[in-house]
Amino acid sequence: MPSFVSYLIHTLFPPSVRLPDILLIDVGLVFGIIGIVVFLTKTGRWGSLWRDWLTTVDHKKIAVMYLIAALLMLFRGGVDALMIRAQLAAPGAHFMPASQYDEVFTTHGTIMIFFMAMPFIFALFNAVVPLMIGARDVAFPRLNAMSYWLFAMGAALFNVSFIIGGSPNAGWTAYPPYTGLAYNPGPGENYYFLALLIAGLGTTMTGINFLVTTIRMRAPGMTLMKMPMFVWSTMVTSALILFAFPPLTVALAMSLFDRLFGSSFFTLAHGGMPMMYVNLFWLFGHPEVYILVIPLFGVFSEVVATYSRKALFGYPLMVVSILAIMFLSYGTWVHHFFTMGAGPGVNAFFGLSTMLIAIPTGVKIFNWIFTMWGGRIQMTTAMLYQLAFIPTFVIGGATGVLLAVVPADYQFHNSYFLIAHFHNVIIGGTVFGLLSALYYWWPKMFGMKLNERQGRWAFWLFFIGFWVTFTPQYFLGLKGMTRRIYTYPAGFGWHQLNVISTVGALIMGAAFVVLVYNIVWSLRFGERDLTGDPWDGRTLEWALPSPVPEYNFARIPVVHERDAWWAMKQRGQSLAGSLRAEDVHDVEMPKNTPIPFLIGVSFFVMGFGMTFKWWPIAIIGFIGVILCLLFSGFDYDDHHHLKADVIRNTEASLGRLQG
Amino acid sequence: MSEHGNTALTIKEAYEQDNDKGLKFLRPHFAEEKFPAVQIAGYIGSLVLTFAAYFLVMNHVLPPAALLAIILALAVFQAGLQLGVFMHLKESRGLAWQLIPLYLVFLIALGMVGMSIWIMLFKSGVS
Amino acid sequence: MSMPLAEEHEVQHLPVEFADEKESIKITGFWMFLVTDVLIFGSLFSTYAVYRGAVAQGPSANQLFQMGPVMLETLLLLTSSFTIGLGIYAMRKGNVKALMGWMLVTILLGAGFVGTEIHDFVSFAAIGATWHTSAFLSAFDILVGTHGAHVTFGIFWAVTLLFQLKKRGITAQTARKVFTYSLYWHFLDIVWIFIYTFVYLNGKIV
Repeated sequence: MPSFVSYLIHTLFPPSVRLPDILLIDVGLVFGIIGIVVFLTKTGRWGSLWRDWLTTVDHKKIAVMYLIAALLMLFRGGVDALMIRAQLAAPGAHFMPASQYDEVFTTHGTIMIFFMAMPFIFALFNAVVPLMIGARDVAFPRLNAMSYWLFAMGAALFNVSFIIGGSPNAGWTAYPPYTGLAYNPGPGENYYFLALLIAGLGTTMTGINFLVTTIRMRAPGMTLMKMPMFVWSTMVTSALILFAFPPLTVALAMSLFDRLFGSSFFTLAHGGMPMMYVNLFWLFGHPEVYILVIPLFGVFSEVVATYSRKALFGYPLMVVSILAIMFLSYGTWVHHFFTMGAGPGVNAFFGLSTMLIAIPTGVKIFNWIFTMWGGRIQMTTAMLYQLAFIPTFVIGGATGVLLAVVPADYQFHNSYFLIAHFHNVIIGGTVFGLLSALYYWWPKMFGMKLNERQGRWAFWLFFIGFWVTFTPQYFLGLKGMTRRIYTYPAGFGWHQLNVISTVGALIMGAAFVVLVYNIVWSLRFGERDLTGDPWDGRTLEWALPSPVPEYNFARIPVVHERDAWWAMKQRGQSLAGSLRAEDVHDVEMPKNTPIPFLIGVSFFVMGFGMTFKWWPIAIIGFIGVILCLLFSGFDYDDHHHLKADVIRNTEASLGRLQG
Repeated sequence: MSEHGNTALTIKEAYEQDNDKGLKFLRPHFAEEKFPAVQIAGYIGSLVLTFAAYFLVMNHVLPPAALLAIILALAVFQAGLQLGVFMHLKESRGLAWQLIPLYLVFLIALGMVGMSIWIMLFKSGVS
Repeated sequence: MSMPLAEEHEVQHLPVEFADEKESIKITGFWMFLVTDVLIFGSLFSTYAVYRGAVAQGPSANQLFQMGPVMLETLLLLTSSFTIGLGIYAMRKGNVKALMGWMLVTILLGAGFVGTEIHDFVSFAAIGATWHTSAFLSAFDILVGTHGAHVTFGIFWAVTLLFQLKKRGITAQTARKVFTYSLYWHFLDIVWIFIYTFVYLNGKIV
């Protein structure tokens, strides 16, 4: 028995991670969990937690859960970033041990991409896409809940690595052979592969769900060319997810099998090729970059049209260019590993295809600018992010074209020039877009506006902090500083630039604090949105009250033109007040179910067991998954009818019923 | 029949209701099935194709590259047979939307295999 | 491809699995799932294509493969694809007994396929050809193994469907489930055609 205990302690807390900070966080977590349990029990909220959140299939509530998870992960990834910057602020620094530094930059990248940006995007999909297309829910509400719980449990598993067993330490790309057992015997990389497999399964389901939703669930009359741009971008992103995630799944599974079951995919001794992993990973990875940015192209198209009070300029061209980006993004993946030693034909092909993508992207940039041209622009926080996005993304894109020049890439490859480039497009495109969307759709999600003055403070801090952080990194890259470097000697001339960069990161951290303050303040004191249409919007979601009732539309609207709600307002129509009692009928709604949550928990248990090769635990989790599948297979009781009277009462209390 | 209370539509009515019925290449098509002759023909066809490939390879009738090209062509043909005959590829309520992602995915899968082979040849003079 | 709708479509009603809008949307969703699965196998085929020559100290494709069991597996799976096709034909005619009969035949043929495949893998392991031996065998095992796992899952799925059909008969929901199951099964047949061609026959070409 004592030997078992010492085995447990040794496995769960290997010496390399028994650092005071992590022990401190362990203790803090235990107290935090106790605190939450006590709070829920004292206020008697266990039942409401279970009924309203854990078992919900309502896309609007799932959106809120995605958003909370994304903001938490933004905090975690941001703290990682600050730790990286602290370590690099001075030459020869030992802010943390090298082994921990490896873990920190790995979790920073993985969390920001998979557990911050992706769920934030899915929060937006869930929050507005069904409303924009005039639907009562997504195509598969239960699958939607399952997607969320698989993502959440994947994220949880990934974060558990921090406190039990040690985090992954091979970068967010996890290239072999370093992830092989020979070099990386701890459980950290198992966590990485399993967490990403579980979350990736959820993401694939989200892709299927929203592709079918946008194809099959549109209100009568909303043809493809009458869809709002955000719906187009959702459709294209979902298709990209469908085509991109399978190669990732295969690459991760192969690496995992090498580690757990002794296969020989990437071990050189038996003929395996580590570069095959890299090939498959970027077959996923490059489309993933567009999965991260295309939804925000949609957001910007909505934001710029609303706040310029003009229809989006060149809508058909926007559609064509978004489709062109989708196709081209499948033919560029080798530009992530030009230096591997492929033939000149390969590199020339992929260099050219990479540069080609700049063309449809440029088309979009000009269309946004022309939308603003001659418009009556309102400088709201959401619009500020849009205005900041255009130059930032253009510069990030231009440095990307520099990287696409193959001979030059041999110099830039894996230097801080690359780091600066992809932060420039991912923060400048994705994060600016996410924050813009947050301010734009917050009233629709929560029924009150975010305070604009605080929002502007957060914006300027974030925008200035961003440029102060990443401009020096271009020059550091040109001066030879390489990616993932732990520390550097004093004489290289890197010191001042690194200090500036760290100061910028602190400013961005301050922006995050202001953002959180803005959210908390606005939840308590924010201006209520009583009209449901605070920005004088153009698309159907603004036709509804804020927050939106469970059934979304009391009567499904009929769409005749693009910007359907704007056109209705021009004709003096409105959904409010014009609803006649006899037009309201019973509505079929999906029924809540615990299965998605339980299947998520089962996957978590299975993943945790596999991480440590504790097969009994893994098998328990597996049996849980099978039982959940069996139960849902035989469960035909998946919907209920919301009575017309209930809807009439709700609409009447919102002042939307005629008479 | 339906548990959700929809009234049964004809195939044409369902198609007419679709928002995007202008996309003519996605028109649905349902087979009229009086006797499962199509299935039987499909089964015999796939058996013939399978054994044709087998005998071509086992008797080494052609040089390897040509042989591989021919049996791959036979496989593609047989896949098309399965999709058309058994998978009711073009059946749908309204437009047969599945056609677009299906054609795309075959293109991407082909590109994926072909490009991966090309890339992993490591044909660089210096590396 | 862009033929006008056939004349009989004006009078022909939608089959029961398409008549209900919600169920028909689930069929579209299942097609999208199959699209992702095509790429799972696409990635596995890519790996196999690249690793074909990476035999290390292990046997090569030509030395390892026995065409006898492979032809048997092919025959079983092709026939099962045919029988589930007849099952769907019976379902469209409203004949639940015939449907269940054909599904049972499909299950048995599928089980025969999986049994033969397992026997094949065991005999490979007996001569030391496991996926530890070489990258080629790793790629072969994961490609054929993933397909076999799909078939195994399909067998269990069909069994649960039989119970549902027995209890409920042919309704919009059970018909949709059986139809998506048949799509899955035919899809596995297509994957097998490519495994048969690109892995087994290709291994014998050299």
